[in-house]
Amino acid sequence: MAILSVEHSDQLFWLGRYSERVYTTIRGFAERFDSVMDVKTEEYVEYCKRQEIPNIYTSKEDFVRRYCFDESDPNSIYSNLMRAFDNAVVLREEIGSETLSYIQLAVYAMNKAKVSDAPLIHLQRVVDNIMAFWGMADDDIDRDCVRRILKLGKQVERIDIYARMKMAPKKIKKEVKRLNGQVGKTGLQYSMVRLAHLNYIVEVEPVDYDQIVEDVDQLFDEGTEKIVAGF
Amino acid sequence: MRRLDYRYHMELLFEQPVNRHHFTLRCLPGENERQRVLTEQVRIEPDYTGGFETDSFGNRCIYGRMEKPHERFLVDVTGTVQTEQNMAVRDTQMHRLGMYRYPTELTAMGASLYKIFQKASFDGESIMEQGKYIMEAVFGHFCYEPGVTQVTTTAEEAAALGRGVCQDYAHVMLALCRQRRIPCRYVAGMLVGEGASHAWVELCDKGNWIAFDPTHNCMADDRYISISYGRDAGDSPINQGDFYGTTGQRQKVCVTVEEKQDSFV
Amino acid sequence: MQIEELYQYSDTVNELLARYGVKFGIYKNGTFNEQLFPFDMIPRIIKKEEFTCLEKGLKQRVAALNAFIRDIYGKKEIIRDGVIPEEFIYMGSGYLAQCEGVLPPKGVFTHIAGIDLVQGKDGKWYILEDNLRIPSGASYPMIARTICRKSSPALFEQNSIVDNRDYAKLLRRTMDYVNTGGHTVILTPGRYNAAYFEHSYLAELTGAHLAIGHELVAENDHLYFVDYSGKKELVGAVYRRISDEYLDPMNFNSESVIGIPHIFDIYRKGNVAIINAPGNGVADDKGIYYFVPKMIRYYLGEEAILSNAPTYLPFYEEDMKYVLEHFDHLVLKDVAEAGGYGVVFGSEMTKEEKKKFVSMLKEEPRRFIAQEVIDFMDIDIYEEGKLLPRKADLRAFVLMEEEPVVWESGLTRFSRNPDSFIVNSSQGGGFKDTWVMAE
Repeated sequence: MAILSVEHSDQLFWLGRYSERVYTTIRGFAERFDSVMDVKTEEYVEYCKRQEIPNIYTSKEDFVRRYCFDESDPNSIYSNLMRAFDNAVVLREEIGSETLSYIQLAVYAMNKAKVSDAPLIHLQRVVDNIMAFWGMADDDIDRDCVRRILKLGKQVERIDIYARMKMAPKKIKKEVKRLNGQVGKTGLQYSMVRLAHLNYIVEVEPVDYDQIVEDVDQLFDEGTEKIVAGF
Repeated sequence: MRRLDYRYHMELLFEQPVNRHHFTLRCLPGENERQRVLTEQVRIEPDYTGGFETDSFGNRCIYGRMEKPHERFLVDVTGTVQTEQNMAVRDTQMHRLGMYRYPTELTAMGASLYKIFQKASFDGESIMEQGKYIMEAVFGHFCYEPGVTQVTTTAEEAAALGRGVCQDYAHVMLALCRQRRIPCRYVAGMLVGEGASHAWVELCDKGNWIAFDPTHNCMADDRYISISYGRDAGDSPINQGDFYGTTGQRQKVCVTVEEKQDSFV
Repeated sequence: MQIEELYQYSDTVNELLARYGVKFGIYKNGTFNEQLFPFDMIPRIIKKEEFTCLEKGLKQRVAALNAFIRDIYGKKEIIRDGVIPEEFIYMGSGYLAQCEGVLPPKGVFTHIAGIDLVQGKDGKWYILEDNLRIPSGASYPMIARTICRKSSPALFEQNSIVDNRDYAKLLRRTMDYVNTGGHTVILTPGRYNAAYFEHSYLAELTGAHLAIGHELVAENDHLYFVDYSGKKELVGAVYRRISDEYLDPMNFNSESVIGIPHIFDIYRKGNVAIINAPGNGVADDKGIYYFVPKMIRYYLGEEAILSNAPTYLPFYEEDMKYVLEHFDHLVLKDVAEAGGYGVVFGSEMTKEEKKKFVSMLKEEPRRFIAQEVIDFMDIDIYEEGKLLPRKADLRAFVLMEEEPVVWESGLTRFSRNPDSFIVNSSQGGGFKDTWVMAE
């Protein structure tokens, strides 16, 4: 039974994106948290700028608390994890209860981290569970289209975040190459023109990070010359 | 006997395009002892996917779906019906009569209805006579006035107001008949000379449906064409729709019935 | 190993239930909250012979109820023959005139029946209520069993307990039996429904597609599921977890945004199965409950194997007299209410309340039923290291294929409040697994 609704394909894609976002931001955050601790106290200001999130924080302590755990802050890691959960919980029969349970466990770990004195340790549990989620998804999901769309979301998010973090062009190029291999296999409609442009722009020096972000985010949103990729 | 040319014309105009538009139309006259359909033409725009069916009240329906965005929905039905005077409609589904004996939400009893009910004293007479008493009581109680009631107005609300349109007259009469457990149904249809659709009621007497028009305080004769039946107006709306889009809409309905020129009485 | 030893796994089991998101949604003061459905480790145990008897009675009851619904929307012989007064049909809220003359695929109306029973102190089982619309709850004992078996394999090795994890298979067979040719879909109102966990879990285990209303479209007299690549796939059975009212805005409540427009028209044409059939409410009304033993006699020519709780219909003069005389010993139920609401005990009313109630009763006798208060057999629950007696009921599931099949388990719900008789999960009750012994 190889049918999948538009809704579910969308939710799979965004589950991939949000879980990757949580994973990468926690890891990036943990690194920075380490340096914020003693010397570069204002580094979070730069961090916000790169992530294009409004700097609503009053101090580095405030940033650590709220960026990680504030449910009312839509940019917090907490909110992103909840969005991953929102998409996962409606996909039980597609991804399976076992795979879903790791997102549920990540949520429990996040809630523990929130009330903990040493949030970094508990955030590591969140990361652990997301890693387990990916492992389980890869291992346990039989239907190719389900697994591929989920992974595509992850790949798109990774390029988006790497570009926002202004990572080395080599790294981004590698991810874009992987994206090229994946996108055609999902059966999702995407813009060929955007993809071609993305392939071109990562080769040009100096790298236009903003353009990469725009291209990758628009890949599935353009209506003018949509084509249906084959399976 | 008369031959009547009718036209049911309905246009829905949307300010912004709507999509995923579903509709059910009960605007096709049925065949029975009182009327025969001689010709019928149906035009619906835009194109739709759907079909025909008969609902549980015996009404002929067209139902369909228009996926693509559109700004106008048009229904135009024309035809000729031959009608008979003083003919009761035989019921072939007598076991279904029960549902017409009990109040519905729109025809539930209330204080104002009780007042009218008590005024009409009509013990022991035939269904025909009881129907006439009730019809007179309703007609006497009401003032015809468009715009003061809506399609969702209940019989009790209309009775309290004392004003309304044909639907309200019909609902009040149904409520009163049902208080006496007389099986009765709502009829939506058309009438010679009116510009809109009309509504009246039928009472069942030993398997024969007799038509009363409380709005005009008379028996419905061969100038009437019935379209749809139900326990009340809510069961069998002539047109019903459901669509996506946030927009204003305007509905134009035009119903005409004329006696065919070559007709004889 | 003894059953009592299960307690020691309490934490493990609850942890696993949380892990798999075994939750129940509750609306309180207008906001949606998901709570873990409290699970008690001590199972209800039903001996083999006892269950065999229940099974017979349940099959008989559901067969009669199915025949009744078919008759009511068909020839109505039971009314014609004076067994049930017609006002109980036409004035009840469960009767849907739109279903007149509609015969569902294979003549099945009650695909999944949830029959609530209680056991009296004397050991005798009584039927409390029939649920023929969208009874929920089977998924909870099923997943609890899975988890308990993981936590304490020895216990299940040493006791012969009938495996209840076949519910999904039964359900699948029930859905396939009536499928008109096409995919099988579980239709959910969405994740904010109280039983969303169950919808998604049953979809996973049966391999059906979980869908929301607008993923399905009616076209050319058939129902289709729209695939993300734009293909339309024929649907042959819809296990809907949406009430009749919201199922189809073109045929029922026009305000519904969670239904499928025109699904009912397609169903009328016999081109899709709707599970359970629309209009079933006509048979599980509290007012109709009284007549079920009569139905069994009428349609099957048998005496009811399982008893109703002694019930009185104030509609009948004789019963009204009895109710007024024994008011303080009776429980009174409003036939229009469900979920434990609209239930009052004569003994708990003040003089003033009683007076008010009696005048209401006289005004609308058809609206109420009165029942003897059954002295429930208590069941122990384990709480904070202690065993505490609580009121509990049993929801048995009867699935209809060619013949009714009783699931060899059930949902045992208990009241957490020691003084309460109301076990509904919407009112904060908990649940237990139900073990049917194999020998």
